[in-house]
Amino acid sequence: MSRPIRVAIVDDEPLARLVLRTRLAQRAGIELVAEYADGDSAAGGLAALRPDLVFVDIDMPGKTGLEVLAGLPRAARPMAILLTAHDGFALQAFALAAIDYLLKPVDDERFEEALERARRAFPYRCADVATPAATPATEWTRTFTVRIGNRIVLVDAADVERIEADGDYATLHAQGKTYLVRERLQALALRLDPALFQRVHRSSIVRLDRVVELRSLTNRDALLRLRDGTLLRASRTYMPALTQALAQRQPFIQPNSPSVI
Amino acid sequence: MKEQASPLVPLLAALPVCACMTILGLPALGNSNATAFRALFFAACMVWIVPLALLQRALWRRDVSWRITAPLLLAASYAMSVVNSLLGQRLEIGLGLATGYHWNELVRGLDGCWLPMIAFCAIHAVAVYYLSLQRAQLRLAQALAHARDTELRALRLQVNPHFLFNSLNAVSALVSAGAGRDANRMLASVADFLRATLAHDGRHEHALAEELALTDAYLDIEKARLGERLQLNMKAGPDLLDAAVPYLVLQPLAENAIRHGIAPLSAPGRLDIRVERAGAGLLIEVVNDGMRPDGATAADGSGSGNGSGIGLANVAERLRHLYGDAQSIEAGWRADGRFQVRLTLPLRRVAGATATTHRADPVTPAARIAA
Repeated sequence: MSRPIRVAIVDDEPLARLVLRTRLAQRAGIELVAEYADGDSAAGGLAALRPDLVFVDIDMPGKTGLEVLAGLPRAARPMAILLTAHDGFALQAFALAAIDYLLKPVDDERFEEALERARRAFPYRCADVATPAATPATEWTRTFTVRIGNRIVLVDAADVERIEADGDYATLHAQGKTYLVRERLQALALRLDPALFQRVHRSSIVRLDRVVELRSLTNRDALLRLRDGTLLRASRTYMPALTQALAQRQPFIQPNSPSVI
Repeated sequence: MKEQASPLVPLLAALPVCACMTILGLPALGNSNATAFRALFFAACMVWIVPLALLQRALWRRDVSWRITAPLLLAASYAMSVVNSLLGQRLEIGLGLATGYHWNELVRGLDGCWLPMIAFCAIHAVAVYYLSLQRAQLRLAQALAHARDTELRALRLQVNPHFLFNSLNAVSALVSAGAGRDANRMLASVADFLRATLAHDGRHEHALAEELALTDAYLDIEKARLGERLQLNMKAGPDLLDAAVPYLVLQPLAENAIRHGIAPLSAPGRLDIRVERAGAGLLIEVVNDGMRPDGATAADGSGSGNGSGIGLANVAERLRHLYGDAQSIEAGWRADGRFQVRLTLPLRRVAGATATTHRADPVTPAARIAA
């Protein structure tokens, strides 16, 4: 088994560090190695300690989180999950190859998702850890099993237009009907083919070919309109992945492309 | 009406007077003596106009009533005409037409001089009065627009606070119940909604897409609060996301629908929001389940029932301010027992919006193949 992921926290607010510490303490395979309360001490500390993953607040006195990361040599740069209460840093964050970008306050689902992303990237980012023998989840979910009373119904993934979070469960919207799945949206997101489905918001997953309009908003979120007129919000933290996925779909839907049909 | 007119005004007022005097003098052109007299009167009149205009302005500035102003100006111009007459007699002597001054003829034939000066005073007065009236009207219009703007701002701000306190209460309740996960989820939704409202730049209108996103962020919070009891359906027709709508026009309606319609129900309730094109207008429809109060008629939108509230009146007021007669809003209970608010606005695009919308038209080959 691989060694634990060594994590550092950089945030100037004690309560924000407390939240992260508490959340990380519940996880297996995570080792908290350092906490820094400002950008300047983090810059030196991270270079010396070389953690695998760092949670960085962007807005700090002295050096900002982005400056701390940019100041580290590329090879010594840990995987980064950026946190901010304000928006507008997403593009810079992705330029620095951050694993994720979270808006405070962060809910548990979103936090777990970010951590999961880091876990998946971990074997590839660290040369000293052997690459896992089998990469999990290459088989994407084709059908959903839904329990309705005493019955079990199978819903074809191809019929699902969107999935909506419903507390700790999820609701499938397929062909005008809704089905409750006893699984978290975040868990479903990992099992769906990213070429067909994309997470667009903390509470929704959408089938890409259902999107007919995408309208960017001033706050960097976007509003999607699906073929049946349904409106969905796309959060800015998912926008880079969404626009990329939509752009990659383009060759498929060009009429004279050989890959059609 | 004490507006200071520009010094150009007396000059312009003198123009028609000069023109008249010149035209009246044309037949005398062949006669050198007559031309000389006309030229003298003309020049003298032009010179007198300066003190006359200054006198007139001084009287206005002192707010002297027209009962005093009129006789005073008449007297002054009469005196000036007499001096003119004297100058004329001096010219006669100079030309050898007379040998001395005829004092008894001094006040004869003053009309050629006095009347143009009276005409000048009248034109000057009318011109200045007209200009100041115009300026006053402009200022009044600006004041009205400003007042309307302030009122709109106030109406807009009225929408927010109670929702904030409701959400804080809900979070507090979740924390007390030990539902930390739900509390966190709710807080993230509240932060989303706040970010959406803070991104607003203070204009009275924004794109429909912004309003729908903001309403959706708000509905996320209500969903967290009500859970199963709130069922949502939000749809829009094609190509409308850039339409200009008043800021916070839909959110208060959704809030109303939940607070007065769905929240008091014990069974789950549905909220349908639909945006459609309606001819040259934009139709926004909010329909919710609710308990119809006894005695409410099908068209009762007066706000007396439990289906409406301050939010509806607020939205109606703002629509009236922004669009006058080009809008309509109606609210009432439908035959199927659901409460409905329908509003229509003029359909316009927000400025500079086209660049931000990427749209795959459902009738393009792309979408046909994908289907």
